Amino acid sequence: MQDQMTPVERGTAIAQGLEADRLPCNPNIANGVARVYGCKISEFNHNPKAVAEAQVATYRKFGCDGLRIFTDLFVWAEAMGSQAALPDDDTADLAVPAISSVEEISRLQPANPYKDGRLPVLIEAMKYLAEMAGGEVGCSAGVAGAFTNAFFLFGVNETLRLIHKNPEAVHELSRVSLETCKAYVKAALDLDIGFGVTISEPMSSCTVVSPAVFRKFSLPYLKELVDFIKGFGVKPVIHICGQTDKIWNDVADLGIAGMSIDNVASLKDCCKTIGHKTKIMGNVDPGGVMYSGNPQDIRRKTLECIRDAYDSPQGYVVMSGCSLPVDTPFENIQTMMDTVRDVGYPVSLEKVEELLSQYAD
Amino acid sequence: MASKEELLQSLSDCVVEMEDERVEDIAKEYLNAGYPAIDGITRGLVDGMNRTAILYEKEEYFVPELLICSDAMYNGLAVLRPHLDQAEESRKQKVVIGVVEGDTHDIGKNLVKIMLESAGYELIDLGKDVPLIKFIDTVKESGAQVVAMSTLMSTSMNNMKKVIEMLEQEGLRQKVKIIVGGGPISPAFAEKIGADGYSVNAIEAVKLVDQLTKGAA
Repeated sequence: MQDQMTPVERGTAIAQGLEADRLPCNPNIANGVARVYGCKISEFNHNPKAVAEAQVATYRKFGCDGLRIFTDLFVWAEAMGSQAALPDDDTADLAVPAISSVEEISRLQPANPYKDGRLPVLIEAMKYLAEMAGGEVGCSAGVAGAFTNAFFLFGVNETLRLIHKNPEAVHELSRVSLETCKAYVKAALDLDIGFGVTISEPMSSCTVVSPAVFRKFSLPYLKELVDFIKGFGVKPVIHICGQTDKIWNDVADLGIAGMSIDNVASLKDCCKTIGHKTKIMGNVDPGGVMYSGNPQDIRRKTLECIRDAYDSPQGYVVMSGCSLPVDTPFENIQTMMDTVRDVGYPVSLEKVEELLSQYAD
Repeated sequence: MASKEELLQSLSDCVVEMEDERVEDIAKEYLNAGYPAIDGITRGLVDGMNRTAILYEKEEYFVPELLICSDAMYNGLAVLRPHLDQAEESRKQKVVIGVVEGDTHDIGKNLVKIMLESAGYELIDLGKDVPLIKFIDTVKESGAQVVAMSTLMSTSMNNMKKVIEMLEQEGLRQKVKIIVGGGPISPAFAEKIGADGYSVNAIEAVKLVDQLTKGAA
């Protein structure tokens, strides 16, 4: 089935309560776009045009609603002095944190997005992407939250310990991280090319730290970043991996464009809890279903998500619970999109149930 | 002077209350009083780790707390372990654990290691980004009964399958129980690649290994 509208037309129509062809759907293909485009993932480390063209190629292939300039969580820490491991054809990882002692924190400087590490590549890629697809599909700049970035400056385990051993040091790390986040987001929004912002804050997850720790060490910086972005007239989307149920209200109350949740969290409960405050996005299991499942699994899980969230008051976007594994079969991604197309819009619960019964276990 | 029971309680409390420095003093005091190291470990430190696990399950403790509690347990172990009898050391079941090649995330693996150690297993920790052949070589050398593999990266998931295939080729598959875990791993995936079990977190991993090794004995 062909889409009848572009993602921008669809988003606008749904927001205005008008007719649309289907729900928005963003499989969250991440660096798997290299597989679609036909380049190695390491190409994205230095070639801004490839970053953008790979996004566009993926959009042309699947018609996904939403493209994002984002390669990995480590680019901001790297731009502040951490070392990233950059595999030839896989997603980057943290190799060596920028510092190894609390005394060194004061030496850290906010990154310059036009100069440091791979940040200029990403900023440049945003310009290309806007030229190629800007009017047709919503594009965003991905950024890691300040708290998460702090872990990549000081090392994950060491920063976890620091939360109890030296709380003020964690604040210091988050503060300097926040300056980098702001500078990067400013560079993206100063381009004035209609980009949104997506903040990833995986370390804020209730799977990692307690809600109390989140509220003390992460939330204040997240709020400052969200407010800063709002100063440009843009509301960010926030994605937090793992369980997030106990902090949903904290995040939604920041006044954001959407909350994207992991598959370990309950989509139904999330819609019930904060669906009246913000758009909910999620949460087909990226590993267990999208990567290792068969098309029938994809259909069933996608339909279950639609059933649980289609009537969320502030809107719903079908999405994976996190970035897809780079080698997720194209067939599975296509099946997710096609399932959403089959359901159509407005969503009829009866039809969803009927389709579901066809794919019951 | 503190009684044995009081010192055991203090050792346990040091672990639960994240007293990773004080625990060493208590462990020394306990040894100096002439009490056996084995009780200090099982009824002191391990008891503390078990209480910590309950707090973690009840979501009062999270990863940072678990990490510091385990630091306390290890610091106490470093003092007590040299005073164990040889026999007490050698009758434990061995578990080879590691994050498979292609991934360097090891928080989850470390938590599983901590909980298995505190449950009395002997862990052979291969670390992270472990070359697949290393799992096979270590099973051969150590005669381990259990292999525990994890990954957070879905790109490394298939390396778990390869390890299982390699164990099969070497005729070692029937000699070990294989458990897998990590962010992208599901029970369905574990079954698909022919692992013996999957656990969603470190606490469940202990139950799973208990169950699997009881069956083998």
